[in-house]
Amino acid sequence: MANNATGGHKVTRRQVLKGAVATAAAAAGSRITGFPTVWAQNIRDIKLVQAGGSYSAIIDIGRQATKDLGFQVEMQSAAHDALLNRFVTQPNSVDIADMEFFFLYHLVPRGVLHTIDLKKYKWWDKVVPIFTKGEYPDGRKVSRQGTLPFKVQYVEAAESSKFAKGPTQWATAIPTVYNADTLGIRPDLVKRPIEHWRELLNPEFKGRSAILDVPSIGIMDAAMAIESRGDVKYGDKGNMTKEEIDKTIKILVDAKKSGQFRAFWTTFDESVNLMAAGEVVIQSMWSPAVTAVRARGIPCYYVPLKEGYRAWASCIAPMKHLTGLKLDAAYEYLNWYQSGWQGGFIAKQGYYSSVPETAKKFLTDDEWGYWYDGKAAKNDIKDPYGNLMEKAGEKRDGGAFWERMGKVACWNTLMDESRYMVRKWNEFVAA
Amino acid sequence: MARSSNGRPWTFYALAAFFTLFVLFLYGPMSAIFILSFQGPTGGLTFPMNGVSLHWFKALVAQQRSGDFVGSFSRSIMLAIIVLAITVVISIMAGLAFRYRFRGATAVFYMAIASLIMPGLLLGLGVGLMFQFAHVSPAWFSSALGAQLTWTLPFGLLIMFAVFSRFNRAYEEAARDLGASPWQTLWLVVLPILLPGIIGVALFGFTLSYDEFPRTLIPIGSRNTLPLEIWAMTTDVTSPALYALGTLTTAVSFVVIAVALTSIAVIQRRRARRQRRRTDEAEAGSARTGRPPGSVRAPTRSGDA
Amino acid sequence: MQPQPPGTSRFTRTPYLLVAPLTVVLIVFFGIPLVLVVVVSFFDLDKFDIIPTFVLTNYTELFESSLTYRLYAKTITYALIVWAITLVIGFTVSYFLVFHVRSVLWQMALFLLCTVPFWTSNVIRMISWIPFLGRHGLFNQSLIALGVTDHPLEFLLFSNFSVVIAYVHLFSLFMIVPIFNSMARIDRTVIEAAVDGGASRTRVITGIVIPLSKTGIALGSIFVIALVMGDFFVVKVMSGGQSSSVVAAMSNEIAILQYPPAAANAVCLLIIVMLMVAAIMRLVDVRRELSG
Repeated sequence: MANNATGGHKVTRRQVLKGAVATAAAAAGSRITGFPTVWAQNIRDIKLVQAGGSYSAIIDIGRQATKDLGFQVEMQSAAHDALLNRFVTQPNSVDIADMEFFFLYHLVPRGVLHTIDLKKYKWWDKVVPIFTKGEYPDGRKVSRQGTLPFKVQYVEAAESSKFAKGPTQWATAIPTVYNADTLGIRPDLVKRPIEHWRELLNPEFKGRSAILDVPSIGIMDAAMAIESRGDVKYGDKGNMTKEEIDKTIKILVDAKKSGQFRAFWTTFDESVNLMAAGEVVIQSMWSPAVTAVRARGIPCYYVPLKEGYRAWASCIAPMKHLTGLKLDAAYEYLNWYQSGWQGGFIAKQGYYSSVPETAKKFLTDDEWGYWYDGKAAKNDIKDPYGNLMEKAGEKRDGGAFWERMGKVACWNTLMDESRYMVRKWNEFVAA
Repeated sequence: MARSSNGRPWTFYALAAFFTLFVLFLYGPMSAIFILSFQGPTGGLTFPMNGVSLHWFKALVAQQRSGDFVGSFSRSIMLAIIVLAITVVISIMAGLAFRYRFRGATAVFYMAIASLIMPGLLLGLGVGLMFQFAHVSPAWFSSALGAQLTWTLPFGLLIMFAVFSRFNRAYEEAARDLGASPWQTLWLVVLPILLPGIIGVALFGFTLSYDEFPRTLIPIGSRNTLPLEIWAMTTDVTSPALYALGTLTTAVSFVVIAVALTSIAVIQRRRARRQRRRTDEAEAGSARTGRPPGSVRAPTRSGDA
Repeated sequence: MQPQPPGTSRFTRTPYLLVAPLTVVLIVFFGIPLVLVVVVSFFDLDKFDIIPTFVLTNYTELFESSLTYRLYAKTITYALIVWAITLVIGFTVSYFLVFHVRSVLWQMALFLLCTVPFWTSNVIRMISWIPFLGRHGLFNQSLIALGVTDHPLEFLLFSNFSVVIAYVHLFSLFMIVPIFNSMARIDRTVIEAAVDGGASRTRVITGIVIPLSKTGIALGSIFVIALVMGDFFVVKVMSGGQSSSVVAAMSNEIAILQYPPAAANAVCLLIIVMLMVAAIMRLVDVRRELSG
């Protein structure tokens, strides 16, 4: 506070504005149109840079945020591995980290993220309990194999870097986008129902199957298939012991040498192309890839398997170096993010929002019915750009939200033995 | 090598055939790109083709989920031009330096080679860390630029070596004898003669920077260059807009080259005409004065040859 | 042989000034990161963090693992095959352009024709092989249409073949440019003299053209070998992830922040490729060519 000539304290303009707006906001009940609730002349100069995967850090979201919030939000898309390296080695180059939950294992102990005071975040009680409590609405516990987001969701105190065992006031990140992954098939080329993960290794599909070449994820898909076949019983597929890793890799190498796999894909594009071109008929896939194949008029089915899904979840968090006005802007942004527009946008690509209630407001009944409730679509379902995703009359593969997210077998993860695992994976690839 | 009169030896045809095959090889996959870039909105990155339209060219310009092509493309171009300029200047200077014998020459040389060989990914990581320690924000025009220079400068240097190794000192000596200062010799004699090689350095510098991926990946700052944008996209979006980009850049390069070649042809023709005119004048002059042609004229720039 | 350009005194500061920008840029952007990498290669690693100590575990693990040797063998094999192929292509194409194409304008035009594909991003060019060589790709379709074969050739894609093809496609220019440059400067009178003296075409090539273009050949070789040894994404994508290279393994480690083993690997790679380059330099002293 500055002193003026008369010797008293001069109230800053910001404080006056803040007070005025606070009363106005309280009166308005902070509806969604009430952004920004922090209002200062200089907030327009704030720029937040969000860096994340291209499925999440989408330019349109940044533009909408800039429009609604008044300050600038910029999106930068980057591939996963580069992302993690940048967060750790150049944290100042990013303002909002957009990442998968298991990144938190790397980032929280290194102190590059800002803890989130849940008191300042308004949607926490509306977030799906999978994240806030680690359980389903009926009280069942979500599978803890792999990195269940709940395990890394809270820290003990504002400045702590230790994960808390249960809910606290301090969150590490806000869950945003998530989905349940499984195998995709070409039903026209496979010609029979597929029900188990082990079909991935079935010699019937020799030379026509594929898995993903990211070590930490690919090995879990492999583990699902192997466990389904009965070769190995894992303690925790998301955190294997050295022996389990050895056994898994050995089976993979044998499969590879027998010509089971046509390819291992690294990019989303490749998975779509492999399937669309008929190079493979069964492979690990991501949901939008299935839709992309279907959008080309080629049948592709995302199979609900008996053993369950492999799930993943993304989250966003402000970087540690944010302070003052920029930090306030970041909280504004987090609140805006979950207020529905973003949720509706990504829903149309097949991803779930962690606050489905608000996303619902931005979807038509038909879209909500298709994407979340597993109902048959009454009209053609389109993506945000007007491209056809699904024809009228079709149901979403796997069904309703709780049908899919309710059957999660394991989560994407970082293993204790990751160093060993990467080495063995490299050996497998080079075999 | 028998090339008497107009007949071409059989080797010409054999080699021409080889060359044609090579060009087909270069452009073959590009043909897949050209065709696929004209797909309809439901098209993907592989055959079979799905419809015909200009949809993807339009998508290229519209800044949307398909990636920020326009922004990253312009950044890539700007960065490539800056890298080109710096590489050319520094490579020429260094090439000139290496004509002398000076202490540390071997060390610098091997450092350049090592810089070429160093895996780009780790070098980029190192540069990013360096900037973080120095509390300077990485950006495409600072950290990424520096990382790219470690890639283009060794190329430039080595090409200058090749260029200088065939350079005939006689021209330099002649210029000296005629009274030119070192600076004049450099600017008016050496550089024009070396121009094709320098253009080679410029070409390499530009393409290497424009295409550069591993070194730029980590120290890029908050805005992507084109290769990074494409790479980020391929982790999510399948889009023939990429192919539209490929078709466009090829078309643009063809236009640029056609323009360059036509201008060179025009310049050549004009020079030939000027040369003929001068010879005519000289002969006319000698006829008048009785002295041999050429002796009354001031020495011309050897770059005219 | 002149040790210095004409007209200069014995000691001059000129070379130091001239080479200063290069040296400064290299020291800042290469030297310092290199030192960082070497230092990190001696650090230790646990699940969460890198521990700054001095241990040799990264190197011992590297040397004890058979994976290391297999990867190096694989990558070096790729490098040698690609080098051989690009050498033949580079030499033949340059020879054609220099000695058989008459007008300089045509030389330039054809030369630039070869360079145009390189203006399109590497990533795009690389992934374009997939619709070209795939089971239902353009190439297979043409083969089938022409009746050459009746079912698609599968080895064309996601195999060692496709990796080598992609490398040759991407890197042949780096061999053509230096060789072209060297060849273009060969004095024609020497060749004419040899021909007049009765030398056969082969003799001219082996006795004159090759020796006089050896700088270009050496440079092109250094470029191609460095490029292949340092690659990680061509091999990943074109082999469909079924093959790997030294740097590809490194990139997997970097992806999950395992810097120390990656750094140790990088130091090894650097040393090995430097040795390869030194071998080339033994045969052709690129630097002496300069001052001679």
